[in-house]
Amino acid sequence: MTTPSTQVTQLLVEWSNGNQAALDKLTPLVYEELHRLAHHYMSRERGGHTLQTTALINEAYLRLIDQAQVRWQNRAHFFAVSAQVMRHILVDHARKRHNAKRGGDARRVSLAEAAVVAKERTGDVIAIDEALKRLAVLDPRKSQVVELRFFGGLTIEETAEVLKVSPITVRREWTTAKAWLYKAVTSTE
Amino acid sequence: MKPERWQRITEVFQSAIKREPDQRAVYLDGVCAGEESLRQEVEALIAAHEQADSFIEQPAFEVEAATLAAAQVGSLAGRALGHYQFISLLGYGGMGEVYLAQDMRLGRKVAVKLLPQHFAADEPRVRRFQQEAQSASALNHPNIVTIYEVGEADGLQFIVTEFIEGETLRERMARMKAASYPAQAAPGSLSEVLDTVIQVASALAAAHQAGIVHRDIKPENIMLRRDGYVKVLDFGLAKLTEKAPDQRAIDSEAATKVLIKTAPGLVMGSAEYMSPEQARGREVDARTDIWSLGVVLYELVTGCAPFTGETPTDVIASIVKTELPPLTRIAPEAPTELERIVSKTLAKDREERYQGVKDMLVDLRQLRKRLDVAAELERTASPEMNVKPIAISSEQATVETAQGAATQTGGVGTARPTSSAEYVVSEIKQHKIATLIIMVVLAAGIIGLAAYLHARSTAAGIESIAVLPFDNQNHDADSEYLSDGLTESIINNLTQLSNLRVVARNTAFRYKGNASDPTSVGNELGVRAVLTGRVLQRGDNLLVGAELIDVRENKQLWGQQYNRKLADAVDIQAEIAKAISDRLRLNLSGEEQRRLAKRPTENPEAYQLYLKGNYYTAKYTKEGLDKGKEYFNQAIAADPNYALAYDGLAYYYITAVGFFISDDDAMPKLRETANKALAIDETLGEPHNSLAIVAWWFDRDWPPAEKEFKRAIELNPNFARAHWLYGWYLITMGRNDKGIAESKRAQELDPLSLETNTILGQSLFFARRYDQAIAQLRNTLDMDQSFWLAHDFLGRAYEADGKLPEAIVEFQRAVEQESDVAENWSNLGHAYALSGKRAEAQKILDQLKERSARGYVPAYTIAIVYAGLGDKDQAFAWLDRAYTDHSFYMTWLKTDPHLDSLHADPRFQDLLRRMRLTP
Repeated sequence: MTTPSTQVTQLLVEWSNGNQAALDKLTPLVYEELHRLAHHYMSRERGGHTLQTTALINEAYLRLIDQAQVRWQNRAHFFAVSAQVMRHILVDHARKRHNAKRGGDARRVSLAEAAVVAKERTGDVIAIDEALKRLAVLDPRKSQVVELRFFGGLTIEETAEVLKVSPITVRREWTTAKAWLYKAVTSTE
Repeated sequence: MKPERWQRITEVFQSAIKREPDQRAVYLDGVCAGEESLRQEVEALIAAHEQADSFIEQPAFEVEAATLAAAQVGSLAGRALGHYQFISLLGYGGMGEVYLAQDMRLGRKVAVKLLPQHFAADEPRVRRFQQEAQSASALNHPNIVTIYEVGEADGLQFIVTEFIEGETLRERMARMKAASYPAQAAPGSLSEVLDTVIQVASALAAAHQAGIVHRDIKPENIMLRRDGYVKVLDFGLAKLTEKAPDQRAIDSEAATKVLIKTAPGLVMGSAEYMSPEQARGREVDARTDIWSLGVVLYELVTGCAPFTGETPTDVIASIVKTELPPLTRIAPEAPTELERIVSKTLAKDREERYQGVKDMLVDLRQLRKRLDVAAELERTASPEMNVKPIAISSEQATVETAQGAATQTGGVGTARPTSSAEYVVSEIKQHKIATLIIMVVLAAGIIGLAAYLHARSTAAGIESIAVLPFDNQNHDADSEYLSDGLTESIINNLTQLSNLRVVARNTAFRYKGNASDPTSVGNELGVRAVLTGRVLQRGDNLLVGAELIDVRENKQLWGQQYNRKLADAVDIQAEIAKAISDRLRLNLSGEEQRRLAKRPTENPEAYQLYLKGNYYTAKYTKEGLDKGKEYFNQAIAADPNYALAYDGLAYYYITAVGFFISDDDAMPKLRETANKALAIDETLGEPHNSLAIVAWWFDRDWPPAEKEFKRAIELNPNFARAHWLYGWYLITMGRNDKGIAESKRAQELDPLSLETNTILGQSLFFARRYDQAIAQLRNTLDMDQSFWLAHDFLGRAYEADGKLPEAIVEFQRAVEQESDVAENWSNLGHAYALSGKRAEAQKILDQLKERSARGYVPAYTIAIVYAGLGDKDQAFAWLDRAYTDHSFYMTWLKTDPHLDSLHADPRFQDLLRRMRLTP
């Protein structure tokens, strides 16, 4: 019997091999999870959950894969692929959302409003994605750190594992990349 | 930018931010000397670093979800879609957003569910959504949320449904779990659980009959209205989240979906309610709903779902493989019959399950009936699991708890130590003494409470109170009488106070054994104060604790513990009565003082019989009324000076007349009961109500009728029955607004009574506000489908509103429930006649006439069928007879829509004149 997790694993493998159709099958799964989390944000018991959310998200999507059954080259490879998939899907989602808004006459939702819900300053996923592409030209490793951490939801340590560098290096790269991206995003806004 | 330069910038930046902010300028001065542009770049980066704070620290997934949430929250609220004005977002789920909106065309609040945009792009899915929603919208059942419209506007797919105010079963369960202790305690009493599950099962039965499978029964899809009605949401819509069968690339997709949906910490739910066949991704049928409802039932009883696991995969594996953990292992008190029902519902092989939800429903109803009988009629102690010690002092509390445990295990006999020879009394005698004490203590308590309420009534504005059933901490039938008796008497006594609305007994006792938070009960009942208490009898000791809670402020206003010896009863009585009366003189009028101290009867047995009489009479069935009458007569026999028992008998006559006994039989006896009651206690309001009825229905003398109603209400402002009867009277006189207000008052006083709720519907019907009447009566039937009077008037409202098929269904139900009532048959006959089914109408007419030759059939009912058939001569002939028979139905003459076709006839005017109903 094909288990759900091997299916997801298979889809990820297919996508990393360049099969676009695999992404199409993965996308709705991630979307639904997104909507679910959005609902979670909107629900009344919102207070004080932010801390656990990070862990939760990690789990939420790591759960897409049953680790024991994964035959990846290694764990790091899996993380890297997952982060790319997530980036692709999330940016795509944000684009569709924006387009839908421009199409309709709904007013644009500002970052400030988003922040009200998230209770933390958030960035616009599309703007970050675009800035990240520029950063990739300038400094591929910093861009990768951001991809793994921001889009992949990895911790410093996991990111270090993927990139085969020390956590201290990751932390340093992250700090610089974050400042650079912040500058890039805020100056173009 | 050249890589070398970028390298340099990052190095300087890293070094700079390692330094204290005030050291950075000096550092940059040195390191960037002569490289102004480098310094600018680094400074800009440092500035960004200082501000970046939590920027991108949250994963993109969360950022996107938050943005989505923010967009949704603000996107439609305050805007309009078609003729729906959005008010606020109610919720959000995988199925899309739900808004509260105002239907501008029909002027009502509705819920609008929008299909998620990413579904909208999938055309086959949209088509299936529309089909599914259309077929679900054909479902018309009180426990199914009504779908008003399935539409599309501005490129949005949406469903408009009735708006339900309340909470989901999930929320309720969470609340109950949080409130109860220990954490594993079952959320809610069994009868409440059964009630909820029965309502859901009724909804499923109707849907399955229409070929619609819900597919996603779970606590999130079950709404509980504040008044206890259950509504099932989203019928058939679960199909939306599935692809069409031919699109299923991989057979486990459905399972994957669940896997994704139920990531821990998010909504952990769906997986646990899946049937084994669903978990395997197979086609589902009605039996899947049966399984899911079984899971809900199991969870309601035990506090946890039967098949669980750390991850959704584990849950699914458990559903498919793990044997059902026996219900009674987790909830040892659960009846074996319930265990059997649950096992049959949760059979892994669907062939072994209940094959139809109706079979399950039959078993559930039978079980509930058995429990009801046990609880309500026999008043056997239903052991409550959470024994709260009386909080007199911690030392005492410990002792009492220990004793309480001994009582529970040792049984009633051992709990009654005969401490010394003087107090060796027979059980009966002791019972009587205990009753006396309770009355005494109680009187003290009430007077104190009344004084308090009265004193506070101007300051704190406490104008309404609910007395919740006192907790019986002895857990045996005898003591149950004490705790119930105490509660009853407090209600009765407080009821005597003007300016204080007291929730009626019937409604208050719905909360018996249901130790939920008094504040929320108070809010549910719309009262300002709630009185709770406990009673514990230990040999010759009697302990009573009471607390008064301010619902709005959520704080205790007053609390008192009474710890008395049976032997000192008389002394204490005198002592307390004096102390209290001193205090009272300051606050209460002499009349009110006197009324407060009044005890309806000293005889506990009589009181018990009176309560039973009320219970049975309120059923409105022939069997119930016969029993009610018998109990009232027994109560009178037990205490011939028990004035209220005579009023009980009056209640019987008022209810039975026209349905089961003739006016000429009933009315003189009604007058007699009133006079007897007044002879015993001339300050009682109840007998004046009876006198009003006699003047109105029998003497047809309006001014005394109105005077007596007013007197009854003046003497007992909280007497619900007087309010609705007076309201009805006013409506027959054409004073609709005031009449409905009185009916509503009755309903406020006794919000969970079938009688007051039905009568409110009846009043709205006679006032010709059919939409409101239909809504009210449907709500009433949601409480209990078997109350024939509600079917009767719901049918009448449908008929008057031009909905004949619906009317006929209701009349048929009324006839099914109570075929002895002629009115039920004549309504059906009339509706048949109007639908062109003259033969059926004629058949009913013949039956009625044949019955009238043998026994009592109100002539009015026969006139109605003739009116429906257009035979005016016969209609008037029978109306004349009704007039001569003193039929109470004749008071409907002016208002009954059944007679509209006769209005133009001079004979009708003549009747009006004779009835003194001409303007």
